[in-house]
Amino acid sequence: MRFTRKAALGGVFLWAFAAGAAYAQQPSGMSQIDRTNQAASKQDPGLRPHATPPVATPAEKLPLDKIKLPAGFKAELWSSGHPGARSMVRGDKGTIFMGSRTIGRVYAIVEKDGKRETKTLLQGLTQPNGLAFRDGALYVFAINRVFRYDNIESKLDNPGDPVELTQAFNLPPEVHHNWKYVDFGPDGKLYVQVGANCNVCEVNPGIHAQIRRYNADGTGMEIVARGVRNTVGFDWHPATGELWFTDNGRDWAGEEGPEDELNRLPKGMEGANFGFPYCHANGVVDPDIRKPDACAGVVLPAALTGPHSAGLGIKFYTGKMFPAEYQNIAFVARRGSWNRAQKFGYDVVIARPQADGSAKIEPFMTGLLDEKANAFFGRPTYVLQMSDGAMLVSDEQNGATYRISYTGAK
Amino acid sequence: MSVVKRASVAALLAPLLVFATGYAESRPLEERAAECVACHGPGGSSSTPGVPSISGQPQFFIINQLILMREGVRPVAAMADVLKGLKDEEAVALAERFSSTPIVRSDETADPALVKRGAELAVKMRCASCHMPGYEGSEQMPRLSGQRIDYMIDALKAYRDDKRPGADTAMTAVVYGASDADLAALAHYTATK
Repeated sequence: MRFTRKAALGGVFLWAFAAGAAYAQQPSGMSQIDRTNQAASKQDPGLRPHATPPVATPAEKLPLDKIKLPAGFKAELWSSGHPGARSMVRGDKGTIFMGSRTIGRVYAIVEKDGKRETKTLLQGLTQPNGLAFRDGALYVFAINRVFRYDNIESKLDNPGDPVELTQAFNLPPEVHHNWKYVDFGPDGKLYVQVGANCNVCEVNPGIHAQIRRYNADGTGMEIVARGVRNTVGFDWHPATGELWFTDNGRDWAGEEGPEDELNRLPKGMEGANFGFPYCHANGVVDPDIRKPDACAGVVLPAALTGPHSAGLGIKFYTGKMFPAEYQNIAFVARRGSWNRAQKFGYDVVIARPQADGSAKIEPFMTGLLDEKANAFFGRPTYVLQMSDGAMLVSDEQNGATYRISYTGAK
Repeated sequence: MSVVKRASVAALLAPLLVFATGYAESRPLEERAAECVACHGPGGSSSTPGVPSISGQPQFFIINQLILMREGVRPVAAMADVLKGLKDEEAVALAERFSSTPIVRSDETADPALVKRGAELAVKMRCASCHMPGYEGSEQMPRLSGQRIDYMIDALKAYRDDKRPGADTAMTAVVYGASDADLAALAHYTATK
């Protein structure tokens, strides 16, 4: 199935309503509503996002031997040859569906006769990172376009026409920071990311920098979190049912932050404000957009996850394979920094929830960053718990997934 | 907001499945490259109005654009047929070849007044921070130096008018609201750098 690329870029006009002819002080590549003061950050103006290769790394060149894990764990190659590997959901029959960004594909990875096969299920979409599976149907969110493929696992070779739900969800068309993350919550609602369409700017708080939830058909929209710059992953604590989500901090405000956040939405606080654009991290006031009492009423993060580290996917572990101490702790994939001279992240950390509602961050999967050489070998983006309790980690840079299993003494 | 249903989804997916399972032959590189230079000019340097030069472009840029066009993420009608069935390794090989072939400037005449105006604009718009000080490009950012002026004017307008879907919205944001005259100035300046 191939899609025509109806540019979802119309929204650029909305970003830019205040533009006039002025090129003003905007750093290159930023929209006219952006209030970034790049010069004030004193950061190297040559920093820019690392390009994601549109081709996959050959299996024999994957950085498997670099990966380091705690004693008793091992990493092995699970799949490769699918460029832009990002979000992952599992169908009822075991298909792993995988979303991507620039390359515009959705993959289906199946096991057949003992062999693993990657199919390109959909192509030509705009950043189809938002995938969810429920009642046999795959939901695909590509910026503001929403499709539902019913009974998908029985027609992987010819998915046919989807049910289009774009109008019902009525999501904003701006592309920037709106490659979606979506998932069904324990309440059966479909939770949807809507990021800030800038680095730092005054967003329309009724539209951007939110997490929303909907009924599966796109009706009944509610805003469950506000002031969220760009969450790229969320999950619910298995015991408390509370929503935990990653949020990537702003760029061009210094090497050391404001740090990325792991947030917890306390029960009964749906609609709470998480601070963007005025208040970042654990109470850092924005240098470029100021208001009095910037952090008043802001829910501060459960944990800081490091400067520019780009925490993406998060999953609480509920499997039987890993030792008991891993029950109900969260794994967080950190794609790694770009807006920082000394690279940071490129790993998977664990977040141990504490009794007071905070979380402690500890290393788990490391080795893909060579700090001395300031070079990286891979970029972990999402984690997925398999039915046997092993965990998949997707690597966007290399177009591969790694299976993390526990083989040590229990 | 329409989903195009192709006559034969299976036929469309064939090249990709082939890539995944690896049983089809690549076409000879020479045959592929011959198709490129038929329009893009000898060695990939174009003397045809409106057709860009592909020589001297960063390797990453060429791979990226070939694949985005093949996937339909950046649809270009003139490229659709030639890219049918292009395998990833063919894209890499073509990119290796044309990125290492020096660009030959076209015989277009740059207007000195526009070059001067473009130089001022380029500073304000910080073009060199991505396209590099010599405008030779880097990774996914294309070379502008030596590129055809008429092509770049068309490309800049397409970015400004939201008619250039593709990998990066950065360019759309940068040229938002720019006048035709400013875009022409930028093209005249960067092409002659």
